[in-house]
Amino acid sequence: MISAATFHAVMGEIVVGTMVLATLCAVGCTVASLFPGMTGRLSSESMMSTMDKAALAGASLGLAFMPIAMLSGSFAADNAVTNALLYNKFVYSGLALGFWAAYVVGRVRFGSGVWQVRPLSALQGLTAVMAFLMTTMASSIGGKLVRDESLFDILPIWLPSDSATVLNPIISAALLLIGIVALVVVFRLGPKAERISPD
Amino acid sequence: MMRSRAAVLAVIALLLATSAGVANPGGESDAGRDYTCGGSCHGDPALSSPSDGTVTISVDSMAFTGTAIAIHVTASGMSLSGNRLLGVFLLGSANGNDDRPEDHGWHILQDPNGGLHNYVLVVVPPSGSITLTWVMLAPEHAGMQNLFASIHHGVNPNPNNWAYSALTMGYSVDVQPVPENLPGFSFDWTPEMRVTGDDSPTVIRTKNATSVSVQWMLDGEWVPHDAEAQMVEDDVWAVMLPATIGDTRMQYQVTTSNGEFSIVQPWLTVGTKPPPFDGGIWDARLQSLAFAFLVLAFLVALQTRLSPWEGRPELDPTEEVEAAQAEEVPPPPPGLEPEPADDYWSRLVSSEEAPGWLWDPVEEEWVADPENPPGGDD
Repeated sequence: MISAATFHAVMGEIVVGTMVLATLCAVGCTVASLFPGMTGRLSSESMMSTMDKAALAGASLGLAFMPIAMLSGSFAADNAVTNALLYNKFVYSGLALGFWAAYVVGRVRFGSGVWQVRPLSALQGLTAVMAFLMTTMASSIGGKLVRDESLFDILPIWLPSDSATVLNPIISAALLLIGIVALVVVFRLGPKAERISPD
Repeated sequence: MMRSRAAVLAVIALLLATSAGVANPGGESDAGRDYTCGGSCHGDPALSSPSDGTVTISVDSMAFTGTAIAIHVTASGMSLSGNRLLGVFLLGSANGNDDRPEDHGWHILQDPNGGLHNYVLVVVPPSGSITLTWVMLAPEHAGMQNLFASIHHGVNPNPNNWAYSALTMGYSVDVQPVPENLPGFSFDWTPEMRVTGDDSPTVIRTKNATSVSVQWMLDGEWVPHDAEAQMVEDDVWAVMLPATIGDTRMQYQVTTSNGEFSIVQPWLTVGTKPPPFDGGIWDARLQSLAFAFLVLAFLVALQTRLSPWEGRPELDPTEEVEAAQAEEVPPPPPGLEPEPADDYWSRLVSSEEAPGWLWDPVEEEWVADPENPPGGDD
């Protein structure tokens, strides 16, 4: 048997590793589609196809492992939140989950032709970057908690994490309900989005 | 080729950079620990080296059973890492197991950081010397006791990633039976940690005491102030100490008396802790899930809005075509061009040199005469 903390570290490394691959490839696709004349071989059909598939595979794998990482992290913390850092780790993990899910949903709904529609391409790239930022923030808080240091210490960015905004559970439940209803509305009542066939 | 080499070099550089992150440069937090953390990495001779610092213990050579005693540990002259962190152990032995003073009958009333641990992590001031004080109750059984102090730290630079450690010799304390009716702290009492800003009474439990007096002073003060102490019940006292805010440190000293003896106890520190966090695990899980769904719903809606879905106004060209038609007048078909106005024809001048042609002095061009077209005679 291994401890929950060790298992959480392994899951976290898988998530971050796959997400790095997904982010790099997604940003590559976005840049190549928005600036086809400036990216040379990056915007070639084969390169675009490779990056698109790698991004989708990385994001899907990371998305599959993220709930496991979150659960094991919760067990590693003895299912208790004792400080703002730990609370924010949960919040950033949720945000990362939402961003990555949106990336995968967008890619699956519209197919590989998503990169040919410039606004959608930009949105996918931005989603991947935000998702990666949230993922690294969540994992860096883990480093702060265990080792009292993180890679963000030497970077000029550090998102708010020393104090937490704890929402009333009723408000959280209401927000959750709003999110679910909004999803149902978009999928059921909204216009039917069709797969974009690549040229 | 150059790009591939650059990429390989970058990866190698990143891999090599990880060697700077071994051990625990952020330090181990305050805890109950055996000598060298029970023989873990810092005890491995291949990963450690003797410190260049000096560690000494200052403690009375005699104590009475169950009475408070202050142990001062001074560390100086160490080469330190960039963050100047120093780990200090107070030990009852140096075997690697069962080394904590509690294992030898001592009872820690307060560690230098206001807690109850035999290992504390501190930041050494620029002077390079630091003195830390533990207040402990002597064991309840008489006899000779040994106390040790140990330190470990890093250095800067530290190419071998070694931990540097030092251990004092054993300092002997002769614990003698306590005189009958000697007033002191209760053996099961430990000072309470207070939340920043809390000025509620501090509870002190004693034994054999009929009165107590308390003095307090802030860090840097030389003249102590008297604090009000009220008896709550036998050997339980409520002391009014001012609240501490932020990094302010306050010390207080209790004198226990019973008419026969009057014992001045060691100085204690008011330990302050941050207010308890008011978020729970289910709050965090629910909020996390809510944010996940909100973000997902917002982005999926945005994707739909930006996608070329059927019936999207931007892709229906009807309006654009109609607008364009309204703005532009299409050219008339050949042969149906509107005739120029009369003043146009009146300004044209005929010329005998160019029969069938009229000269337009405004546009400076020849125009075919409609009444006598060029070559009409042919």
